[in-house]
Amino acid sequence: MTAGRARRIRFALVMLLLVWLQFYVRPRLWSPRVAPDFLMLGLMLFAIRSRPGAAALAGFILGFASDALTPARFGAAMLANTLVGYGAAWGRAVFFADNLLVNAGFIAAGVWLRDVLVLIASGTGGKALLAQLFFWSPLLGLSTALAGVIVLAVFRDWLDIRLEE
Amino acid sequence: MLEPDRTFARRDTALFVLCVALSIGALFAPEPWQYVAASTARRTALAPLIALQRRAEASRTSRARFEALTAQRDSAAAAAQSLPVLLDENARLRALLGLAGRVSGRAVPAEVLHQALPTDARMLLLGSGRTAGILPFQPVVSPDGLIGLVRSAGATTALVMTWAHPDFRASAMTLDGSVTGLVGVTADASIREPMLELRGVPYRDSVAVGTPVITSGLGGVYPRGLSIGTVVGVARQSEGWERVYLVRPSAAPARAGHVLVLQQGAVPVGAASEDSIP
Repeated sequence: MTAGRARRIRFALVMLLLVWLQFYVRPRLWSPRVAPDFLMLGLMLFAIRSRPGAAALAGFILGFASDALTPARFGAAMLANTLVGYGAAWGRAVFFADNLLVNAGFIAAGVWLRDVLVLIASGTGGKALLAQLFFWSPLLGLSTALAGVIVLAVFRDWLDIRLEE
Repeated sequence: MLEPDRTFARRDTALFVLCVALSIGALFAPEPWQYVAASTARRTALAPLIALQRRAEASRTSRARFEALTAQRDSAAAAAQSLPVLLDENARLRALLGLAGRVSGRAVPAEVLHQALPTDARMLLLGSGRTAGILPFQPVVSPDGLIGLVRSAGATTALVMTWAHPDFRASAMTLDGSVTGLVGVTADASIREPMLELRGVPYRDSVAVGTPVITSGLGGVYPRGLSIGTVVGVARQSEGWERVYLVRPSAAPARAGHVLVLQQGAVPVGAASEDSIP
């Protein structure tokens, strides 16, 4: 087996683990509004190590799944995740994300931006938008970033993400 | 000939533009198409993941949840103590007035499969569907009050449009039946939950803060007497025409774990009385 193929298999295993965490562990955690979004974490980790086009496609597919499960405004999550995935892949080149805290901030910002885009595309306004963006979304971003730090620390070799010691 | 980097960059841009175009197309596609696409995905690719989440919800037995369920059961048991007397009184009053007996039905319990999107509370995914007897337009309640109605139902899952959805409307009245109106979500929210508005109240009628609001039964979708919320103040008023009241909802879709889907004519234990006479 070539090294590249082995790396891809290891990365795919981490992604599968995140999917399992999202659908089997997340419902058992605390409030669903602030429990880590493991699928979004997977998208951000994928975007950090991929080309922008592939990250946009991954965001689109993830968004489609999210919209199918919560079709309050079908297409909103597709658009939001596509933009976040594409932006994250470009952002990696700008931020040189080789620090654990920078990665955590990057993940939290991605989750928050996704929420902003979904809410705007869904036509949410007024105090409901403010409460979501300045209370619930930051909490969700922080919990997802914390989960991201743990995943990165445990699987740093498998994810091929260079981190400062 | 293009350099490899430039070719990759063009490919990335093309893929990005295609994904954005498809997303925007999905956003503005006709609603039936959207539901078909979503339900097809839930029936096929997402079915194993939904089954996994349903299993996780079913086996979630934390101590806090157990205590909450115990408290709910105790409240329900206490409320049920006076039920035989009330039923007897009700039967006698109906006999005196020459009214037929209440239409009874059953309620189907279902697990709520919460998702991570911020719009989750507007459209809930239930872990039961047509095979359990859940059909579109059936009302959905939690122990606290009205949640919404079934928007679409597949074989094993159903989608519930909650009161937090911008398209939600329900015919409502105050508990004593003196004031009627229409409730819908408002942009005026609290930190914890969105709020509701009671619209269409004539200017001459005033509703005191703290007045319970229930479904009126008009329209035939929601049975009369389901708890909607409590009036917390006046949201706005048109001089000489109408007042719009702000209502704090009884039930929170974002926190609902179990719900009851009411079959034809069913009213859950603990719901406000269906027989309050205006």
